[in-house]
Amino acid sequence: MALLNLKDLTVQYDQAAVVNRVNLSVHPGERWAIIGRNGAGKSTLVKTIAGLIKPKHGSVLLNDQVLEDFSARARAKTIAYVPQKLDTTIPYSVYDFVMLGRYAAMGLFSMPETNDHDLVSQALTFCDVADLQDRMMPSLSGGEMQRVLLAGALVQQASLLLLDEPTSFLDPAHERHFFDALDKAFTHNNFTILIVTHDINTAILSCTHVLALFDGTIHYCGTSQEFKSRCPEILNTLYGIPFEPFASTQQNTLVYGTWGQQ
Amino acid sequence: MKKQNQFILRLSIIIVGAGIALFITPFFGIKQLSLQALFHSTEFQHIFFIIRIPRTLAAFIAGGGLAISGMVYQALFRNPLASPYTLGVSGGASLGAALCIAFGATGSLFGVSLISVGSFAGAVGAVLFVYSFAWSKGNNSITLLLAGVVVATVCSGLIMFVHYVTPLRHSFQIMRWIMGGVDGTSYTYFLIMAIPVGIYLLCVAFLLPQLDHFLTGDSLAHTRGINVARSRNIFIIITACAIGAIVSVCGPIGFVGIMAPHACRMLFPGTRHRLLALCSFLLGGTFLTFSDTISRTIAPPAEVPVGIITALVGGPFFLFILYRRKGEFHL
Repeated sequence: MALLNLKDLTVQYDQAAVVNRVNLSVHPGERWAIIGRNGAGKSTLVKTIAGLIKPKHGSVLLNDQVLEDFSARARAKTIAYVPQKLDTTIPYSVYDFVMLGRYAAMGLFSMPETNDHDLVSQALTFCDVADLQDRMMPSLSGGEMQRVLLAGALVQQASLLLLDEPTSFLDPAHERHFFDALDKAFTHNNFTILIVTHDINTAILSCTHVLALFDGTIHYCGTSQEFKSRCPEILNTLYGIPFEPFASTQQNTLVYGTWGQQ
Repeated sequence: MKKQNQFILRLSIIIVGAGIALFITPFFGIKQLSLQALFHSTEFQHIFFIIRIPRTLAAFIAGGGLAISGMVYQALFRNPLASPYTLGVSGGASLGAALCIAFGATGSLFGVSLISVGSFAGAVGAVLFVYSFAWSKGNNSITLLLAGVVVATVCSGLIMFVHYVTPLRHSFQIMRWIMGGVDGTSYTYFLIMAIPVGIYLLCVAFLLPQLDHFLTGDSLAHTRGINVARSRNIFIIITACAIGAIVSVCGPIGFVGIMAPHACRMLFPGTRHRLLALCSFLLGGTFLTFSDTISRTIAPPAEVPVGIITALVGGPFFLFILYRRKGEFHL
């Protein structure tokens, strides 16, 4: 049974369809990369799945249940979300912030129990931020902040993790640290991931499936193996510029990049 | 360890301060009372039990209630300038009271003065108007705040108009009401305010963990399991009713709701709302009780309206804490 089903999903801003009749089935344990140009509807799609945006038409089904029928707490137990960047200054310590992720699992008085503390400590360790737990959130660097956000999402223990360009503001080293943390958590929890990314190589190397959006519609939807076999043609039409394959000796595979019009 | 000791010391000072405010300040006033005199003089007993105690309790509950409502609005709107009066509550209440005074509606309804009823109706009416307006425009918090500022300004203009056209004695009465105060509060009026404020505090105590999430932003709060729209609606409505109850008895006492929660945020940085609420309530209550004590002792036999004291004492105190604070100021 599919964990997530999108049926004829259409999202509009004003009158313009940003996501247009998207159908998708995501099964447990899959890692999906969502790629496409800026404005293609990637973030809108992920936010709609997270319940942050209401679709104009169609539906989001989680375990065959319509998303809108979920209570806020039940939804948070199924879906966790890591935004691109936080738009606010959070006045809590790292530990307290991550503990907020346990809200949906806590009882009426929201008092953390031993299990909650254990899960927070585990998530902080997975994300390599355990030594930052007493630091205040505003004092973190961008890379640290994203890993703390990931830890906050991990403690939700949701089966579906949505990541909206989580590394777009990070340098390559911090990006690597973030994906290492994600890999570690994935190995341990085996949840399902949907990640919006501009990094084609992440899509090919780290994900099992790729969803490529073009002007809100599906341009490609399938396994990353098949996607790789159809590159760079598929990338050329998706982005409108020529891509070139480069050999990666360490990964023993090809990576893709573009250096302008030839 | 040093941090923990500092934390315990600060919390202890707030608790001791609240104790002094509640148990010692009733002895001070135009007539100074002593424990010994209290046992022997029926006049002093009357002053202490019938006048000072309900007045002290009213000041403490009003101050604590205003502090909690300020804390709630600041977290809901993620705006450090939000106060109990942000959504036009003060303006609406003052206009309601001014209209009652101007039209000579000085009688009572079920033992409650019509001026209090009018100010409560004005406070709740203003919030409902602001809220319905913002709701029709998509329930955006910026729209809500701006609509509140506009309603407050329009109410202020209308109050000036009422001032201008009413006889001098009404005009003076309006002015005095707007300055706020807890003088003359009876047990009946204390209960009229304390019961709704008590219910409000109980509701807020249950909802406090949700306020922690509001400070992380609506999107994150939503994905962490908060029904953001419903929760915000509940907070706004119950807070407006509590402020309406306070203002209808004490008038629009300013500064407490903005000063107390910020002072607590600075004294206990990084504290989540459960402890912050307790400290804000105690500090707000203590602050207003001490201000009221000063108001009745500073120029005997006259009493200075407490709103003047809250601004003159609270302002420099707040600036002092702000000055002493290291680093940037965050909500």
